[in-house]
Amino acid sequence: MKIHPYLRAYVAGIFMPTLVLPLILTGYITLRFVIGVQVPIERFVIFPMAVVPFLFGLWNMVYLATHDHTHLPLGVHGAILPFFGAPIGALVASCLGVLQIRGDGILWFQVLHIPYALLVCAFLAALAGYYLVWKYIVGFLNRVLGIA
Amino acid sequence: MNDEVRMKKLLKQAVRPVDVRAEPARDLWPAVLRRIDQDTGTDASVQSGWLWLDGALLAGLVVLGVSFPTTIPLLLYYL
Repeated sequence: MKIHPYLRAYVAGIFMPTLVLPLILTGYITLRFVIGVQVPIERFVIFPMAVVPFLFGLWNMVYLATHDHTHLPLGVHGAILPFFGAPIGALVASCLGVLQIRGDGILWFQVLHIPYALLVCAFLAALAGYYLVWKYIVGFLNRVLGIA
Repeated sequence: MNDEVRMKKLLKQAVRPVDVRAEPARDLWPAVLRRIDQDTGTDASVQSGWLWLDGALLAGLVVLGVSFPTTIPLLLYYL
């Protein structure tokens, strides 16, 4: 299977966020309309719905293009993505009013206050999560689609 | 012709006859199996080490999520 390898890499990359997004949306819609928590879903959903799948697909294409030179394991390659995705996500959230930067931490969705120390832990957790997702899920899809 | 017969005779004397049913002095198959086991054993131990690391990372994620639930929406936002 040698045709359109970058298209297959993109499809393998977007699979995971596309699969998870409806589950996250279901959770947030339940929180807002069933439980009554006031979270501005329509504003924050742009990033996970449009930008994250695109970043995943693009990053998998980058892996395909650079793997012969870098020889990085897929998990490590995936764990680098938050270094680009986190600032983009924070910028988008800040522009849309979902994220407010304060002196003692950040305020997400106008209700969740996260101190900076915890933000560092969350970032490290994101690295670990991305590493696992890329190693096992994207790696599996890459093998299925004949990329790896 | 006489030289040819003499050459055959000399060759037969010089070269040891090969027995087509000859077997090695000992059974080599257990050694082959040991070699295969050694190779796969090394791979398995490396894989096992990675599995432990990955399991620890997953456990760390779960502990963080349980200890600080406010980080869960933040992490899901990026997935």
